[in-house]
Amino acid sequence: MTAHALAARSLTRRFGDNTAVDDVSFHVEFGEVVGLLGANGAGKTTIIRMLAGLLEPTAGDARLLGDPPNRATQSRLGYVPQGLGLYGDLTAVENLAFSAGAYGVEPTALTGSLAASSHRLVANLPLGLQRRLAFVSAVQHDPEVLILDEPTSGVGALGAARLWDQIRVEAERGAGVLVSTHSMQEARQCDRLLLMSAGRLVGWGTEADIVAGETTVEVDAGAWEEAFNAVAASGALVTLDGRSTRVIDRSVEEVEALLAREGIDAEVRTVPATIDERMAVLARSAPE
Amino acid sequence: MRAMILKEFRELRRDRRTMAMIIVFPLLLLIIFGYAATFDVEDVPTAALGPQAQLVADQAVGLFDVITIDTDGTADTARTLLRDGDVQVAIATDTQPPTAFVDGSNLFAAQAAVGALGRLGDQITVDVLFNPDLITSWVLVPPLIGYIMMFIGTVVAAIGLVKERENGTLEQLAVMPLSPSSVIMGKITPYFIVAAIDMVVVTLLGMLLFGVPFVGSVAVFAVGVAIFLFVLLGVGVLISTVSQNTGQAIQLAIFFLVPQILLAGMIFPLSSIPWAIRWISYLFPLTYYTTISKGIMLRGAGLDSLWPQYVVLAAMAAFVFTAAVLRFRRDLVPRRHRKPDAAADGAPA
Amino acid sequence: MTFGVEDLTVRFGKVEALRDVTVAVPAGEVTAVVGGDGAGKTTLMRALAGLVEPETGTIRRPDVEHLGYLPTGGGSWKELTVDENVAFVGGAYGLSGDELAERADRILARAGLADARGRLAGHLSGGMRTKLGFSLAMLHTPDLLILDEPTTGVDPVSRVELWRMISETVAAGAAVVMSTTYMDEAERAASVVLLGGGRVLLSDPPGDLVAATPGTITVTGTPDDRALAWRVGPQFHEWNPSATPPGATVVQPDLEDACIVAELALRSGTGGDAR
Repeated sequence: MTAHALAARSLTRRFGDNTAVDDVSFHVEFGEVVGLLGANGAGKTTIIRMLAGLLEPTAGDARLLGDPPNRATQSRLGYVPQGLGLYGDLTAVENLAFSAGAYGVEPTALTGSLAASSHRLVANLPLGLQRRLAFVSAVQHDPEVLILDEPTSGVGALGAARLWDQIRVEAERGAGVLVSTHSMQEARQCDRLLLMSAGRLVGWGTEADIVAGETTVEVDAGAWEEAFNAVAASGALVTLDGRSTRVIDRSVEEVEALLAREGIDAEVRTVPATIDERMAVLARSAPE
Repeated sequence: MRAMILKEFRELRRDRRTMAMIIVFPLLLLIIFGYAATFDVEDVPTAALGPQAQLVADQAVGLFDVITIDTDGTADTARTLLRDGDVQVAIATDTQPPTAFVDGSNLFAAQAAVGALGRLGDQITVDVLFNPDLITSWVLVPPLIGYIMMFIGTVVAAIGLVKERENGTLEQLAVMPLSPSSVIMGKITPYFIVAAIDMVVVTLLGMLLFGVPFVGSVAVFAVGVAIFLFVLLGVGVLISTVSQNTGQAIQLAIFFLVPQILLAGMIFPLSSIPWAIRWISYLFPLTYYTTISKGIMLRGAGLDSLWPQYVVLAAMAAFVFTAAVLRFRRDLVPRRHRKPDAAADGAPA
Repeated sequence: MTFGVEDLTVRFGKVEALRDVTVAVPAGEVTAVVGGDGAGKTTLMRALAGLVEPETGTIRRPDVEHLGYLPTGGGSWKELTVDENVAFVGGAYGLSGDELAERADRILARAGLADARGRLAGHLSGGMRTKLGFSLAMLHTPDLLILDEPTTGVDPVSRVELWRMISETVAAGAAVVMSTTYMDEAERAASVVLLGGGRVLLSDPPGDLVAATPGTITVTGTPDDRALAWRVGPQFHEWNPSATPPGATVVQPDLEDACIVAELALRSGTGGDAR
């Protein structure tokens, strides 16, 4: 049996009374990009640290390239922590030289806008360039597994798209990639998704799988403020989209009844749910 | 490992603060402390009093540096001179045999003087005032209380403010309808009150545990303590304005606190420190506090002799606090000279 | 009343953080500010809050009594309880007694913090802390509410609730300006401002802004010009500034595509004024 790039089996981690990761199982195949989606504090970083061998699980099993993480498998892993792991007092080139030296490979030549900044201190580079440098530094030794903790956080749309391009190139080379993000928007960049909430895995599959058949109720009213306030006051999960009110956790009938009771004239219809809305429902239904 | 070593050297080269800590600070401390730390007392300021004053002055050699000769002086004059800290030994010849009064609140000078006088045998009576048994803790505890307060006051005030910066709440305060001075005063007052209570508790405990006497005026002492605390909190605020995080604040506080252990006259008498180094002592608030606390608690000295110390401390408080408030204000109101709503148009500055 | 900035330039030493930025923040609307790091989002928020002095330009904002500001990740004092935070901020705005108690009850209930009033702010979850920060910024019912990335990293339920609170604030007539990293949030705002390199690249209602995307966007596995293409999952989206290649699949751009095109245009000097 071929090993998975990464595997978690009933992975659990407690810090004192707090269960940061609760009975999570999944795996990542070679050549695919798996997104670990969730809010700050949902347990993403804890999972990543266990898979990278930086944290012992309280219970369950973390597997890196088929084995519990160890020195040998870690040398075949590329890891970019949330804090980037770059040295601010070193230049871009010196940072690359250090990590290349650590893995015993030749440093990669810098390209594009990074090349122009190769002799600047990393602390003085804009965050977007720092993130790209951290990525280049982590893939110098052609790792078979790549773990990236919020690689696009704080980066603009174009910068994020460029990073996703580099991530894809690694996956196409055959690496299994696990990427965490708190932005549901980035779901579309991944082959498969893992939705985390309060330490639990609340949903998984492709983006299409996750939203398939799920709906949201959309309300359009002339007096949009009144309609919004009426629905919001009922305790429903509700958001405003321009001047349309979107009600996540109520049926069309319930919303119509509610608006009728308030005497608000509105057009109420069912529309496909977004991944965000699905996530909100899944997160709310998960026990605390 | 080669990669690791190379990286570490490259980083070290660029981290000036740590480099200073590693190279400059030890050299500085070694030189300063090496010269300051001496138990040898070479000169003891001495007064010769009474009918035989001139004779005593002529005979006194070596250790005793006669700086006052008063043929009308009596044993009472001697006590007053010692209390006010004008001299450390006063020899009164209006008694038979003459009496040498020694200031026990200056431990090393007193020990040296008592040793030298003892060799004269019956020719002279020795009377050690203020600390008759020459107990170390009596001399050490009063300034030590100041040092402890300095540690706490400076670090606590600095961290309290840096925390607001670290948590991003300083910005929040800046947009609220609070005047900068009310923010600063509101921030400092609780520390001042807590530090003052702390001071009382520590002083009482020092007296209780070590039997340190409190001879002088509590009111005069309280005023001195209040001014001293003001200087400390001001230094704390100053440190916070040049620190981005708690680590930096503590690092700076250490630079300020460590040298004072040896230089403020707490352990080694200032008079034994060569002038090349001694001037540094006069920049530290603890130096003045040491004189005040020993003077009032042990010798019962009053404002008439201690006023120079009060004036210097008050000047320091005014200077440090003004600097601190101005710097902090700049942080809190980053160049907001203009009224809200008013247009900031016109030519570039 | 429309707040905002006009021709605003802010410089920190040699660095030009904002250049000739004009943003209107009308009452009763959410204005969303998007852009990457170094785009100038936080500087714009701080300038509106009166925390940075402009080099040139005009800032229109209410006086401090009618201004609410929530800095990134901040807004409450960790070592105070929820109630103590409310008492402190209320006191700073001259609120007290029944008036403060009534407002605190109402706002904390809406934020879902009614059961957490005795808890230390530092012990709240990220989402709850953000809602507390928002409640504090709203306590004095400001005319202008400035929110710097209030939802970044916040859990989805709290995000929905925050957005609802923001919507209620707007429905009550306040002007809200918020920076955000999430395009779906920006899409819900009345107007979107895209900052890039300290300048305004786009500024319009999101629908208009997407509709005004120059050229076409095609979806492909093998882009002609990698410099004008970006990943969307395993495929690429490619911007065709002038002619659409024959046979290519044209897609309707979304706000993210529109923002990427604006940044590409700025870099290539096509359609925008390049630096």
